[in-house]
Amino acid sequence: MATDFYDALGVHRTASTDEIQRAYRKLARQYHPDVNSDPGAEERFKEVSEAYQVLSNPDQRRRYDRFGADFRHVPDDVDERAYAGDRTRYTSTSQGVGGFEGIDIEDLFSGLFRGRGGGGPIPGADQQAELELTVEEAYRGGRRHLTLSGSGQRAYDVTIPPGVMDGQRIRLAGQGGAGSGNGASGDLYLVVRIKPHRRYRLSGRDIHIDLPVSPWEAALGATVSATTPGGEVKVRVTPGSSSGRRLRLRSEGMPNPQGKPGDLYAEVRVMVPKRLGKRERELFEELAAVSEFDPRRT
Amino acid sequence: MAKYQLVRPVQLSVDAVAAHSGLHPDLVRRFAAMSLVDSTTDATGRLWFTPNAVPALARVQRLRAGLSLNYAAIGLVLDLLDRIEVLEAQVRSHRRWT
Repeated sequence: MATDFYDALGVHRTASTDEIQRAYRKLARQYHPDVNSDPGAEERFKEVSEAYQVLSNPDQRRRYDRFGADFRHVPDDVDERAYAGDRTRYTSTSQGVGGFEGIDIEDLFSGLFRGRGGGGPIPGADQQAELELTVEEAYRGGRRHLTLSGSGQRAYDVTIPPGVMDGQRIRLAGQGGAGSGNGASGDLYLVVRIKPHRRYRLSGRDIHIDLPVSPWEAALGATVSATTPGGEVKVRVTPGSSSGRRLRLRSEGMPNPQGKPGDLYAEVRVMVPKRLGKRERELFEELAAVSEFDPRRT
Repeated sequence: MAKYQLVRPVQLSVDAVAAHSGLHPDLVRRFAAMSLVDSTTDATGRLWFTPNAVPALARVQRLRAGLSLNYAAIGLVLDLLDRIEVLEAQVRSHRRWT
């Protein structure tokens, strides 16, 4: 914890005890690992708690103001001027300061979480982080490398099962908040968030796509290819398909590790060329003259 | 037709919960009395807990130690956190239509 205690609490060095308490209470409520399941929250909470422990005690605060980060290594009766001239002795190896050698800060503060709780070890809190996937990644599954900020940088190689759904949680046992004492660590949950896709719309395990076809393909029927998350598929457009007609491709939707996969729905969209060639125009004009079809009166 | 095995629900006694969570059995009983952890009483008056009681008790301890809350406030915080969790899950399922 290299940060300055005043920075940790976001207060000025001249802040009153009341201001420090106010800042601490607010931040503690915000970052308590049970209230905030963000992986970085726990570290922040500990930082804030440590800062408050020191700054709320007038004597400790004075020492912190005077000696900075290594105030705990400086004996009570040190002469300030001697300290300033002899600084390296205390900061680096603590040689010759007898009783202060080898004090472990973690030891001093391990009691922080225990407080008035009830003594023994307290297991750590569960944490939660978002895992953003594209539709294709969710469809195929596979491995994904991700890094989380928080108590140091943490990197994981996560195996994503094929067919994960939006909102589904992937559990990494024992990777959550650290327990205090020798309490067990909590779990880390990765909540899957599927990014909206330009072409694929998801509804449960079903995938909806648009299937653009030309007017003659729609009228005469055709076999056209469509891109799905699983690759190219051939779709048979039945003769006389208008825009909005949905063609179902059974089991071509999201895979389901527990059973039946979803379906893929291809919705026909009749498209016309923006600009017609000479011959095309003639043919369409001929069709217009011959046809008695009126889509507004069927 | 699917067959299901008849199983007894996993239940923990006061002593088992106390051992798992490192608390004194009396404190576990007190937490149960204050309804900070769900419990059931059988015909002989003994308390029984589900395995969820262990992480629930850890949460009580963390809230108490970290925010200096009293037990009445912890009860309220636990209820609110549970409600927020339900609401967040609802929001997530609504967003699925994107």
